[in-house]
Amino acid sequence: MAKKESTFLNMFLALTLVTLVSSAILGYVYELTKEPIAQAKAERQNAALRNVLPEYNNDPVKEMYKKAVDGDTLYFFPARKDSALVGIAVETFSPKGFGGMIRLMVGFLPDGTINKIAVLEHNETPGLGDKMEASKSDFSLQFDGKNPKTFKLSVKKDGGDVDAITASTISSRAFCDAVERAYKNLDLTKGGAQ
Amino acid sequence: MSQWKNFSKGLIVENAVFVQVLGMCPTLGTTTSAYNGLGMGLATTFVLLMSNIVVSMVRNFIPDKVRIPAFIVIIASFVTVVQLTMQAYAPALYKELGLFIPLIVVNCLVLGRAEAFASKNKVWSAAIDGLGMGLGFTLALFMLGSVREILGAGSWMGFKFIQGDGMLLFVLAPGAFLALAYLISIMNKVSKKKA
Amino acid sequence: MDKLLTVSMSPHAHGRDTTSKLMLGVVIALLPAWAASVWFFGWGALYVPVLSVLFSVIFEYLIARYLLKKAPSIRDGSAVVTGLLLAFTLPVNIPVWILAIGTLVAIGVGKMSFGGLGTNPFNPALVGRVFLFISFPVQMTSWPLPKGFATADAVTGATPLGLLKEGMIQGEHVADMVKELPTNYDMFMGHMGGSMGEVAALALLLGFLYLLWRRIITWHIPVTILTTVFLFSGLMWLINPVDNASPVFHLLSGGLMLGAIFMATDYVTSPMTPRGMVWYGVGIGLLTVIIRRWGAYPEGVQFAILIMNAFVPLINMYVKPKRFGEVKKNG
Repeated sequence: MAKKESTFLNMFLALTLVTLVSSAILGYVYELTKEPIAQAKAERQNAALRNVLPEYNNDPVKEMYKKAVDGDTLYFFPARKDSALVGIAVETFSPKGFGGMIRLMVGFLPDGTINKIAVLEHNETPGLGDKMEASKSDFSLQFDGKNPKTFKLSVKKDGGDVDAITASTISSRAFCDAVERAYKNLDLTKGGAQ
Repeated sequence: MSQWKNFSKGLIVENAVFVQVLGMCPTLGTTTSAYNGLGMGLATTFVLLMSNIVVSMVRNFIPDKVRIPAFIVIIASFVTVVQLTMQAYAPALYKELGLFIPLIVVNCLVLGRAEAFASKNKVWSAAIDGLGMGLGFTLALFMLGSVREILGAGSWMGFKFIQGDGMLLFVLAPGAFLALAYLISIMNKVSKKKA
Repeated sequence: MDKLLTVSMSPHAHGRDTTSKLMLGVVIALLPAWAASVWFFGWGALYVPVLSVLFSVIFEYLIARYLLKKAPSIRDGSAVVTGLLLAFTLPVNIPVWILAIGTLVAIGVGKMSFGGLGTNPFNPALVGRVFLFISFPVQMTSWPLPKGFATADAVTGATPLGLLKEGMIQGEHVADMVKELPTNYDMFMGHMGGSMGEVAALALLLGFLYLLWRRIITWHIPVTILTTVFLFSGLMWLINPVDNASPVFHLLSGGLMLGAIFMATDYVTSPMTPRGMVWYGVGIGLLTVIIRRWGAYPEGVQFAILIMNAFVPLINMYVKPKRFGEVKKNG
């Protein structure tokens, strides 16, 4: 087959055909992957929730409610087992990180005790502030099982009970700030009444 | 040219990264670990293979003056396919590579092979060429990712073998340039000895 | 009268200065600062520079001999100066293996990769320092506070610049933090946390005078850097004294003195003409203050010098010495 001449009609036909076939294929693949993509997204959120909360069998995402504080939003996810409240996960934030915003998921038990904390998002310096991730150091584990009623949520340098990450006081302070914000705005009775 | 030669040239002799220095954006941006490098390399290989095949198939049907837009549409379609598939079935890898997947479209390696090879050769040769080039690219990214992960994080493929951190510079951007420079110089030394 | 004419930029005249002689002069100029750091930090300050020099010379020899396969150039003493300067930018409590990596990067990456002395675009000691600073942030930011020869465990703390940056990120006003920061007199004499060679401005200035006296360097680069930093930070301080540190604080803190006198004046990586040197110095001064004030890192001198190193070929191209007999062109 000889090469097509670059006439207007040929160019028009060739491009139309290429784009038509491409969009048809893309449409098909989009339909095919729509379900799994939505599932993967939900799975990620659920994994974060399951990570910080005790065992539950409701859908905390469905019962989620918001509260606007300090120029951003806190998200509360109540977890129940057989309709009894077993904990609340709070998606919280602090703008005071060394690299800006830090987002955490903090799981509270019904009495206000911290169950577990997961880091969702941060921009801290690798090797310093990023040690807040549970996979990089034990820093975030020291909060597990502590009740902020008795456990002061600030670094020891500032008179609190938290061991700061070595050479990363700012990141540690921001982390405490985020947890503190979650605890302060946590209304345990509200989670139970719904 | 035998098909074997056609395939193997992309691995070492005309390696996209080490010899042609093409596709630097994903090469430097995604190779923070061996796994990420491998993932990016394989995604690019798939796009390269498929776009080479399709471009070669339609090469006589596309008039010369509109060949570049046509090739780009074909490449972009396959990139979107990869993007959607990865989002659905490998969300963790997608989160890591994120922005760089759509950027495969503008990887000059892909358009370069379509323009320089696939549009002038038969489907079978074009497929072999795409596969060879893609695997060479993958090999380079995997090597670079390995070096950076071993030096920068003290681990390989996620398996940690030292306590604490490595030399953090290597997982940051400057480390990518540094590691790539030394890999290229080693490759030059080795290939010069052979010749 | 054995010297009638002073010839600068000499392609023909043969000076008596050899590389090794110049390097010896730099080492002598560093001695007061070294003595000061031994006084402040104790024995660590004595052996870290010695080890650093040793590593540098060994790496230079090995790389030249086995990788580049040319005559080892260790006799010119440049590796000694690189090792010494690198050590002066490090905390005295630096682990030995990190020191070894730093010297390997300084010599291997900073100098030998570009072909050895004379062809390296960046100051090798600073390349090593920045590599370590970014790679090992924990070890590189735990600065020992001066304690002399007391046997108690070394107390570590932030540098004055580190304290300043930390406070600014917390949203505190600089004016409120003054009581936490050392006084200007303390900083001048060296009573502050920091790396070995940067703590005592007084000792560094003594070295500067020696270098000027022996005509190893000219005044242009150090003086323009310090003046630029003083004027720029002074301007910001006048505009807003609440959120900016005083210009004297900027002059005395961090590695500014060490960088301006010993790092920026490196022959290979600085411009050739006095006018070029002034441009270069102004650039370093401005970048230093900009990075200190708005950058992510507390100290900016190291980055400022490396960035301006990259501009040196450009400066050399545009700022050429006047040719002999050149007449100003008429329009």
